[in-house]
Amino acid sequence: MAAVGPVGSPDQSCASPDVAALIPLVRRIVAARVPDRATVDDLVQETLTRVLAAAGRVEPGMLEPYAIVTARNVVASMWRDQDRHRRHQHRVVDLRPPPAPDEDVLAGEDRAAVAEALTRLSERERTTLLAHEVEGRDTRSLAVELGSTAGAVAAQLNRTRARLRVEYLLVSERVEPPTERCRPVLLAISSGERRRQREVDAARHLLECEVCARLSEPLMERGRARDDAVRVPVRGDADIVAARQAARELATRLRFSPTDITLIATAVSEMARNIVRFADSGEVVVTELEEPRCGISIVARDAGPGIPDVERALQDGYSTYQGLGLGLPGARRLMDEFAVVSETGRGTTVTMTKWRGEA
Amino acid sequence: MTSPRLFSILRQGLHLIASVHTALDDSQLVRFQADLVERIGADRARGVVIDVAALDVLDSFGSRTLRDIAEMARLRGAVTVIVGIQPDVAFAMVELGMDTGSVVTALDLEEGLAELDRCLAASPLPGP
Repeated sequence: MAAVGPVGSPDQSCASPDVAALIPLVRRIVAARVPDRATVDDLVQETLTRVLAAAGRVEPGMLEPYAIVTARNVVASMWRDQDRHRRHQHRVVDLRPPPAPDEDVLAGEDRAAVAEALTRLSERERTTLLAHEVEGRDTRSLAVELGSTAGAVAAQLNRTRARLRVEYLLVSERVEPPTERCRPVLLAISSGERRRQREVDAARHLLECEVCARLSEPLMERGRARDDAVRVPVRGDADIVAARQAARELATRLRFSPTDITLIATAVSEMARNIVRFADSGEVVVTELEEPRCGISIVARDAGPGIPDVERALQDGYSTYQGLGLGLPGARRLMDEFAVVSETGRGTTVTMTKWRGEA
Repeated sequence: MTSPRLFSILRQGLHLIASVHTALDDSQLVRFQADLVERIGADRARGVVIDVAALDVLDSFGSRTLRDIAEMARLRGAVTVIVGIQPDVAFAMVELGMDTGSVVTALDLEEGLAELDRCLAASPLPGP
């Protein structure tokens, strides 16, 4: 057979009769390996193109075997490609979420909230904070300038940041604190100072004030690094079990004896039930004690109706519902220390402690 | 049912064997009580063994519920034996001041069934 034109522009007039005769053969080979008809058509085309391109180099009479091998190779390389595609697909996937349409708006609001919160700081607080955070001045040089010590400046910066967090939350949530007590409480929580929180009775305020309860969530998230205190909100029956299991877990970690662990869990169960029965909602806080020796402290707190006569409630058999009247007096017997503070109409706080035995 | 079963009530001859599988909260205990009392009638059971080995705590509510079950079962003509109270749980119940004197107890399931047989032998009903 005469040589054909240059590769890439196969001379149809010369090669096509032979190649066209190969079409049914190639189609049969490809169709036997590939189920999908459209793909079969593609691969047949691909094979014919290659055979056409090579027709000039192939010896006469060998075109048919050449076409058969080419068809098989084309199918095999398609499988390889698919396989490679599957293996590398994960590299192509862009896991970043597409930009939300409101992203810019939210970022803008965020900036505005920070700016607004900054204006609520005092002049001195703002200047120091910006000098430190934005201009990168260290506390020592700031201390020299302010006629103070580095430690005092650092402490002041911490308080300023705490205040900024509170103001930022108030601005971005667009709320004004409903009571006089809100801001000091939020500030104490934001700074994470436990003593300050106790002084302003933050825990009780959070039970009473819905706004602060909501705002305090993100503030508390920050300070949740310490795990020596577990806080269990108590709203329903299931939380009673959750509370006593939290107490059990901490007591187990503190290596209380199995008997003491059960005593503690029982007492917590009684107190958590009182919250559900009488106050609808409250919380149980289980804390590890290190001083004067290892122990566990449990505070059960609610903002319910309160106990009108604590003395009587502590007597066996005194019950205002169809119970055994064992809740408070029973729990008192189970623990080493037990204190009830209650104010009618404001709520009840039970604090109990169990010290770990010397064993 | 999506969650694992909290308790099971199985029939064995004239007896029901009720096992608590995990720590129950108050409303689950109440449901346990209702189911059990219902089954006593449906199965015409003469004796009930309640296995509470899986309960982490028997506080005032839990103890009272068990006492109530025993009392209701008695009114329905069945004897109840509580088995499997853990030593620590027993200690806590006593410290708490629970009065459980009226409830029949046994150490484990085997003892409980033997106790039931003794009770029923003492007060035989006409056979079926």
